[in-house]
Amino acid sequence: MGSAMKFISWKALGLLLVLPLAAWAANPALAGRWRLDPKRSTALDGWTAWDLVVSLEGTSVDLRHDMQWRATKLTSTNTLDTAKPTTVQNFFRVEQRHMALYQVRGALTPVRAEWLDGERTLRVEATPQIEGSQGTGPMRIYQELRLIDGDQELLLIELHSTRGKPFVYRFTKVIGEK
Amino acid sequence: MRPIIIALVCVTFISAGLRAAGTGATTTMPAARAAWVMNFDGDWLVAKGLPEKIMLLSLQGLANRAAPQLYVVHPKEFQWEITGPLFEFYQRKHGVAFTEVKSAVAALTLFGRYAKGYVIWEPAVPATMNVAFTIAGLEDALVVTSEQVAQVEKFGLKRIDDLRGRYTGQTDAQIYRDAYARYWSRCAHDAIMLMGGQFGAVRMPAMADWGVRQKMFFHDLSANPNHPEELALEKKLFSELAPGSTVFGWHSYAKDTEEQHTTLLSGYGLRMEGLHNLPNLSFNCQFTFTPGFKFTNNHQVALDAKLTAQQKVYISFVQSDSIGIGVWTKPGRGKLPFGWQVTVNWTKFSPAALEYFHESATKNDYFIGGLSGPGYMYPNHIPADKFEVLMADARQLMATLDEHIMEIMDNSAADGNVGNADLTKETVDRYYKAFPDVIGFINGYGPARTRDLRDTRAMISYDYYIDPRRPREEVAADLNELIALNAKRPYFLLVHVRESNDVNTLVEITKQLDGPVEIVPIDAFLKLAASNKTYTTRYQDPADPKHFKGF
Repeated sequence: MGSAMKFISWKALGLLLVLPLAAWAANPALAGRWRLDPKRSTALDGWTAWDLVVSLEGTSVDLRHDMQWRATKLTSTNTLDTAKPTTVQNFFRVEQRHMALYQVRGALTPVRAEWLDGERTLRVEATPQIEGSQGTGPMRIYQELRLIDGDQELLLIELHSTRGKPFVYRFTKVIGEK
Repeated sequence: MRPIIIALVCVTFISAGLRAAGTGATTTMPAARAAWVMNFDGDWLVAKGLPEKIMLLSLQGLANRAAPQLYVVHPKEFQWEITGPLFEFYQRKHGVAFTEVKSAVAALTLFGRYAKGYVIWEPAVPATMNVAFTIAGLEDALVVTSEQVAQVEKFGLKRIDDLRGRYTGQTDAQIYRDAYARYWSRCAHDAIMLMGGQFGAVRMPAMADWGVRQKMFFHDLSANPNHPEELALEKKLFSELAPGSTVFGWHSYAKDTEEQHTTLLSGYGLRMEGLHNLPNLSFNCQFTFTPGFKFTNNHQVALDAKLTAQQKVYISFVQSDSIGIGVWTKPGRGKLPFGWQVTVNWTKFSPAALEYFHESATKNDYFIGGLSGPGYMYPNHIPADKFEVLMADARQLMATLDEHIMEIMDNSAADGNVGNADLTKETVDRYYKAFPDVIGFINGYGPARTRDLRDTRAMISYDYYIDPRRPREEVAADLNELIALNAKRPYFLLVHVRESNDVNTLVEITKQLDGPVEIVPIDAFLKLAASNKTYTTRYQDPADPKHFKGF
């Protein structure tokens, strides 16, 4: 009985150690540069190209958006933490550029991120304040970035609390570019 | 050959006169006249169709100096869809009897006598096209390549100038500085021709006839600060134009942006009149409205009407880019109330086109003034001492066109995706002071966030811009998202329709919108917006992002 108890205790201790580590354990396959495949994605509005560059360090996840419209380029990064909720200043969302909905300058956006599905899906929930013609209000954004089998494709599904249609974006891994 | 042609011309004149008399023409029909028409194809390649078109455009400008003689009809896919309908309009309402001219040789036979010679340009040095056009206007010359010399010399024309080799290895700044020294003092100083647009293998100078007729200085100098020499010369030219002058044409797609160029010229109180391929102004400018015609708009509300908005979403559609390049001729017009921005100074050089639009308007078509004034300009950059004079001209033109709404656009700090398209408070103050009798104002091209309400005049910016390439289900989803986010009722959703959209697809979109939604004409929209201010007051904030920070 004593040795069984000891075993159970060790097992419990092991579980206690592993569970938080799961929150911390980033999937390195997600890191890198991902290029939007426009033909298999919801149409971008205004933007003509989008690279999503994912960087992982411990529980920190940087989602860098390299956007382009003709010769104009814009880069913006949302830094998340899968260990705890954070706030992001000037949270970047890929706007439909032809809508009069604007980032509230300097506003802090509460963001939560966590790994799901054996670290093959990154879930992001954010509630940025958005300025419209009637003033500002929240938009709840829910995203899942899912690694597709083979780790060369990434699927991003995004829902807005204010939109009846999801955005579905497919990316392919870019090798050799930072 | 020439005597036979002259005889035919005389017969045409006489028979046109007889036709007018024989029909018992009413007093509203102008005296019949004869003219000629050429049908252009769509080949503007420098190595193929362009040289002949350039020669013909210079010929058109010269031939149309004395009278409206030569008109060009472009293919249906040409950016300006108006040439065919206007051709028919001239016949029907102005009694013009057209004879087709089927070839360049036939055109030279008819009109070669209006030229005193020719100038040779060098396709390998692109700027020489513009220098040659300048010379054409000043010296009554046809613009030709070396391969065309033999052709024009058969008509007794002599060489006036030869630009081959003169500018080899020089920059455009050097070329135009030389042209400035040689020709500027003799050119018009109330107008200039920015003959830019396409570059490289294709050029499309369809507006050149106008510049030749009016003896304008042609160029495609850059307004990009990265090209300081060109910019400096452009500034010099602008500073030497008369107050309120017009920059015709369009910026070069190779060198700078529409935003940079319009910002620059606005700073000199000049007005832009595009595009570089707007055809037939040398012909159109010689027609007025038909006798007895008065431009009347389809007003849905009186100027002093008071409306009360209900608890719903009000949507209004407007198309800018001036009528003539877009939705007007596409199927479905009339099915939805639509506002149409009219380039108000077409009253001066294309009144027949305006009368045609008026005549073919449905009850759902409503005309508004713009962009920003008596021509396309960015008002945040118009010097204070020039603003009122310019807007006085705009007021007069709008009165002629029975327009009660001014559309404003200032993209000096925007590029369509970044920056902002808003008006400073100072600019907004100026508009309210300059236009006391309008129903209201609209602002933007893409979405913007300048809004105000003073007395009964609302100023509303576009909340949405419909890109014709955007899938219609996404457009509907976008509009529904705006409706969801702007939850107070009434919500005033102003939509800008890009010129190549199709009204039928817009009808389908409106059927997919959530909640009580009413599509209203823009005059009613602004009156309703004035009745219940659920929108915020906002102007350009100095901290707003600016894509281009100016000069």
